[in-house]
Amino acid sequence: MELAYALTIGALTASGVYLLLRARTFPVIVGLTLLSYGVNLFLFSTGRLATGGQPILGSTDSYSDPLPQALVLTAIVIGFAMTAFVVVLALRKQADHHDDHVDGRESSARLIREDDEEEYDR
Amino acid sequence: MTLSLVVLLPFLGAIAAPLFAQAGRTAIAIASSVPAVVALMALFPYWERLSEGGVLVQTYDWMPSIGLSLSFRLDGLSLLFALLILVIGLLIILYARYYLKPHENVGKFYALLLCFKGAMLGIVLSSNLLLMLVFWELTSLVSFLLISFWNHKKDARRGARMALAVTGGGGLALLAGILLIGRIVGSYELDDVLAAADLIKAHALYPFALTLVLLGAFTKSAQFPFHFWLPHAMQAPTPVSAYLHSATMVKAGIFLMARLYPALAGTEQWFYMVSFTGMATLLIGAYVALFKHDLKGLLAHSTVSHLGLITLLFGMGTRLAAVAALFHVINHATFKASLFMAAGIIDHETGTRDMRRINGLWRFMPHTATLAMVAASSMAGVPLLNGFLSKEMFFAESLALNLPGFWAYVPPLVATLAGIFAVAYSARFIHDVFFNGKPVDLPIYPPHEPPRYMKIPVEILVFACIMVGMFPAISIGPLLYAAASATLAGDVPDYQLAVMHGFNLPLLMSFLAFFGGLLMYSQRQRFFDFHARFKEIDEKAVFEKVAMRMEDLANAFTSKLESGSLQRYAMLFVLSAIAVAWGPIEELGWFIGANGLSPIDTPTLIGAAVLILCAIGTAAIHRSRFDALILLSVVGLMVALAFARFSAPDLAMTQLSVEVVTIVLLMMALYYMPSWTPIEESWPRRLRDIAIALVAGVGMTLITLAMLTQPFESISGYFLEHSKSGGGGTNVVNVILVDFRGFDTLGEITVLAIAALGIYTLLKNIQLTPPPGDGHGHAWTRDAYPVMLRQIARPMLPLALMISLYIFLRGHNMPGGGFIAGLITSVALVLQYIASGIQWTQARIPIRYHNVIGLGLLFAAVAGAGSYAFGYPFLTSTFGYITWPVVGKFEVASALVFDLGVYLTVIGATLLALVSLGNLSPHSATSQLKGGL
Amino acid sequence: MNHWLTAPILIPLLGGIIQIFIGYAPISLRRTLALATTVLLLVSTVALLALASDGSYRVYTFGNWAPPFGIVLVLDRLAALMLLMTAILAFFCHLFAIHKTDESSRQFHALFLFQLLGLNIAFLTGDLFNLFVAFEVLLIASYGLLMQGNGTKRTIPSLHYVVLNLAGSALFLISVGMLYSVTGTLNMADLAVKVPQVSAEDLPLVKAGGLMLLVVFGLKAAILPLCFWLPKAYGSATAPVAALFAVMTKVGFYAIVRVFTLVFGADAGPLANLGLDWLFPVALATLAMGVVGAIGARNLRTLITWQVIISIGTLLAAVGLGTEQGTSAALFYLLNTTWIVAGLFLVVDLIAGQRGAAADKIVTAPPMHNRTLLSVLFMLGAVAAAGLPPLSGFFAKLLILQATTPGPQMAWLWSVLIIGSFFTLVAYSRAGSIVFWRTVEGHVAQSERLTLPVTVAAGGLVAMAVVIVLLAGPISAYVDATAQQLFNSAEYLTTLHTPVVVGGL
Repeated sequence: MELAYALTIGALTASGVYLLLRARTFPVIVGLTLLSYGVNLFLFSTGRLATGGQPILGSTDSYSDPLPQALVLTAIVIGFAMTAFVVVLALRKQADHHDDHVDGRESSARLIREDDEEEYDR
Repeated sequence: MTLSLVVLLPFLGAIAAPLFAQAGRTAIAIASSVPAVVALMALFPYWERLSEGGVLVQTYDWMPSIGLSLSFRLDGLSLLFALLILVIGLLIILYARYYLKPHENVGKFYALLLCFKGAMLGIVLSSNLLLMLVFWELTSLVSFLLISFWNHKKDARRGARMALAVTGGGGLALLAGILLIGRIVGSYELDDVLAAADLIKAHALYPFALTLVLLGAFTKSAQFPFHFWLPHAMQAPTPVSAYLHSATMVKAGIFLMARLYPALAGTEQWFYMVSFTGMATLLIGAYVALFKHDLKGLLAHSTVSHLGLITLLFGMGTRLAAVAALFHVINHATFKASLFMAAGIIDHETGTRDMRRINGLWRFMPHTATLAMVAASSMAGVPLLNGFLSKEMFFAESLALNLPGFWAYVPPLVATLAGIFAVAYSARFIHDVFFNGKPVDLPIYPPHEPPRYMKIPVEILVFACIMVGMFPAISIGPLLYAAASATLAGDVPDYQLAVMHGFNLPLLMSFLAFFGGLLMYSQRQRFFDFHARFKEIDEKAVFEKVAMRMEDLANAFTSKLESGSLQRYAMLFVLSAIAVAWGPIEELGWFIGANGLSPIDTPTLIGAAVLILCAIGTAAIHRSRFDALILLSVVGLMVALAFARFSAPDLAMTQLSVEVVTIVLLMMALYYMPSWTPIEESWPRRLRDIAIALVAGVGMTLITLAMLTQPFESISGYFLEHSKSGGGGTNVVNVILVDFRGFDTLGEITVLAIAALGIYTLLKNIQLTPPPGDGHGHAWTRDAYPVMLRQIARPMLPLALMISLYIFLRGHNMPGGGFIAGLITSVALVLQYIASGIQWTQARIPIRYHNVIGLGLLFAAVAGAGSYAFGYPFLTSTFGYITWPVVGKFEVASALVFDLGVYLTVIGATLLALVSLGNLSPHSATSQLKGGL
Repeated sequence: MNHWLTAPILIPLLGGIIQIFIGYAPISLRRTLALATTVLLLVSTVALLALASDGSYRVYTFGNWAPPFGIVLVLDRLAALMLLMTAILAFFCHLFAIHKTDESSRQFHALFLFQLLGLNIAFLTGDLFNLFVAFEVLLIASYGLLMQGNGTKRTIPSLHYVVLNLAGSALFLISVGMLYSVTGTLNMADLAVKVPQVSAEDLPLVKAGGLMLLVVFGLKAAILPLCFWLPKAYGSATAPVAALFAVMTKVGFYAIVRVFTLVFGADAGPLANLGLDWLFPVALATLAMGVVGAIGARNLRTLITWQVIISIGTLLAAVGLGTEQGTSAALFYLLNTTWIVAGLFLVVDLIAGQRGAAADKIVTAPPMHNRTLLSVLFMLGAVAAAGLPPLSGFFAKLLILQATTPGPQMAWLWSVLIIGSFFTLVAYSRAGSIVFWRTVEGHVAQSERLTLPVTVAAGGLVAMAVVIVLLAGPISAYVDATAQQLFNSAEYLTTLHTPVVVGGL
């Protein structure tokens, strides 16, 4: 069980990281989402895996660790907010630069130097 | 008190002076001379005590933790320099009054001049090395501003920058040196440092300390190879050149050597470093001076050479040499300052400083000429003038220095040679400028004598030259003695200041120098021709080139690293994480903890398999974005199931509802984006990324495996125990969220709210044109609001609201709670937008979602703050029970209000985000929502 | 139970909520209320500093749950210092912002206040997961602020900043999870108790967790090689936002100091001084990188952004010494650098406003309208930043240099720091002399005149360089005490025994 679980997290992390390293906003966002799934599962499992031990008092005799669950819930919400923001930011990028590449093309203007300056004199 | 006042006064003057700028140059000149006059009067009473080698120290605490104190010290040495600074300062102020033109920024000039005076006095009066350093760097800064006073001139700017770089940099070295000394001695107070002389010289750090301190001194006093900044500093107005760059600032390095003489001098290292640097500077300066056609250039290089002479004297390490050095400090200051002023007058009256054009001025300005000639002869070391006396002593010392074998001849030879050059360039200064035919097309013709008062400072200084030259013992004797005894820590060698010491070797050297010099000048053309063979290098240009090159290199280097590529940055981040975790994980390896692995059941196995496959699949087919999105949603679904499987119903529900909204969001976004990701990276690049990803994945797997199989103890027992009794709820997770860790939740909903606001701002006034059809070229359906959907959606709303209410209310005891309820409500509402369009829905739900968010946060905050009223901390909850129909017995906790806040915030945030997204494109919003779904 | 502790959190929270409601009210009202909130915050932080300077720990247990079970706020000297520093900075930035920046969006003030909320939570919280939440609050607010203003030049840098920080948050959660999975607690004091007792086979997990945490904080603090997002992000932000962000990197610094002195401090048994051996060299490299960047800068803003990186390198190098003196020196430097860099951002903005098309490029341009004032402000800032006497930067550097003990570390730190200052000096003098002195004839068409608020804001921050010098004695005494308190982490653990309120009123 633990092995399968660990492999799942590994797979999520790997795919997430790979997509994070792509050059377009959309895959990057997808990658971040995958990553956050993996992270949530991991954080959740820091309370160890338990079957049928939902931490509802009276519903069972042995309870799983409720704290990680609460943390993950918070994490999910925050993750949701962040994802929403980054998605919209990606749209903004699309609108501003008419493409969804993560880096725009920077054009560097030539700068005037001390040499080019004409001589003054008193 | 007195001393700190002496230092402070000029700074106050600097603030006051500009106020007089309007009243004209005379007024401001008078105002500016007040501090010096007061200072002189304040110092006068101490003369008695100091002449007998007394010392006056006044100390106030400043930053005791770093050994920095406001402590000042007045002894012979500091008095000597203080007098130079104050007296010459006064003359300069008078001189500048006539030198500056009315339209120039006189206020700024005098303010800076006074700042400099204050800083300089600070250096010579400090009794704490750190304090001295503060003033030291301050002089560098002020001189930077003074050199660039005519900052519209390129050369002025460059000269200033170069001076700042060299002297400021030297100051940093000095800082290090002083810190080392402080570390050795354990104090920065001069008394302690001088007392610990032996300790310092014996210490392992001594060589470093010495080198660094000397770096500071040499850069400031323009010693070879740092001498190049001084000539270029001559871009400054002449009063500045006369004051800073001949009389005072460049003497600061000399002063430092004198000040620390007892503590640092008298060792091999000192001897070699100082004397040889001095020798080189002496020669090079003298040599170059001869070939400068610029009047100030000549004087500047001669200054370099004389500074070298003084340094050499200090380097010799004999007590007599030290006396000679101090004596020459005074003499050089007097004749060089007067020469600079004369040069300034000539420049002022002829409009040029080029000696090839300035000739035969004797006929035009005999008075100035006479003064200049006397001063120049003193510079040459003509008898009966002060320059002669100290030079004589110098020659004597150079002979007294008995080095092994051949080396014994070097100092006298160098001295004589330098003497010859000195005479030569002095002769040139006199002959070339005042005689030697007629002037050659002067910008101002005919030149004439300057205003009467402009000459007074020169006259005073020249008078001093003569007085000292003829009656050294009475004129300067006492002061010199006091200074010497302060420098040599008491034991002053017996020497007598006389015009003549009878016929001896030094006198012979003087004659040699004198006639050799005249001969050399008469044969100057040959030397000029010889010198002309080597092309002159302009240090300023070199410095600029270097600076420019450096800038370009740095820029290139930076832009290579800071390439603006997110992929690079992200990779660096992932790699750093891997790098730090690598060691521990390797240590961990394939570790299975004490609990071991538990058996897996088929459904779970299948679930895991699906999850893994979909995850990898998403990455594999990510280029086809729509399909990737579908797979992603499956992953999300499976994650929710995983939560459910491992007994976390709340998480499962949350994950599920978040999943729905997220996917909707991504769909809407995707609608505006290309539906395909082009291939950009080469295969190797992708392989590299895959490798990185795999390492990360394996790492996480190993960590998880080790962690899951290890037994552990957590604080959660407490929560299970107190959830009911203390929090009034049986759903422990929910109680943790709204009670035990309610503060986290408050932060969490704040994040949600801010995100929504941010999104709203981002989407304001941006124009996105949706593609005509989906990626496969099918056009969107015309049918904006399908009847079916509308028919289902509208009745669904009340139902959904009922459900969400139920889930909300039961949340405290059963899975559910504000967040999930909020999301369900939002989904239901979003459905209305999709089904019936924004206008239709807005018309029926006239809510400003900002206010919903605000209300939500407010509820949460107020619910938390409510407990203040009962003297409990923020977010303390209380609860009671009531029985409701349908829902059954159920308690109302104050936490419920808090949860209501969560509920509202979620609705407000989600809808604000989705609706402003829906509102995007010019034509009716719903079509995009539709396109998305 | 001293409710004052919640003031720095509730004041901006409520102020922000109000701003949400009055988003459509006249701007004058929004400005007044927003600025009032910041001032109120400033007052409360002064009170807290006074409170904290007695050297004892004050604990606030949210929900009246005893630590380690509930979330606690812990006020000590360090927290108070960070709060006050931030509040002062925020006040001037806010003052500058109401000049015209806040017209770009109705949400500006809300975002600004929520930013402060996040910062203050981060400085006060004694709970690791709550620190994560605080980070998220201040990040999401910073995302919003970063995108303030018109034009499209901000989009890409912001995108980079956001994506990187999302990745950072993920790593943060992983690290927290790893620590929890072994110690089973989140309260920092409790962690400090549990970490030394970690069993041998659990050790790698905690170690990896701790080091990853260092990476997360490093990303926030912008240390090499995680600093490259910063120049463009800060460079493109509007002036007051960039100025406020001067404190953002310092949050990373704070987190490192807090967590790594408390949880992985000297008493952390097998994990004692975790990460120190990484920190020092990396910090020096960061410092060097910053200097190179500054030399290569082609416009003033870029120059200042690299100054931010120089600062963080210097700070962490001092902390990396792992000594009380080092930390104390770092804290003194912290005040100086945060305020000065922020001030420079504002000054540069004023300069750019008066140079027309040349803006803040280091090139020839027509003279500025308020050349004298601006050049004086710039020079003061530059002198303080480069660490020359007589301004605060010099004394800060002095403290850092003195904090070392003879040995290779000293050799490294001294040479990098001193040579670094030299090149910074060259860079500043070059930039300044070109921008202010190398002017061409003619005048700028629409040169922005200085208004009182912006002048006061920019001048005030730069003037801090003088204030610090005048108060050098007391300040250094305070930071010494702070460092002492930090290194005596055993004292911190007593916060675990905070009793809960019984019976209320």
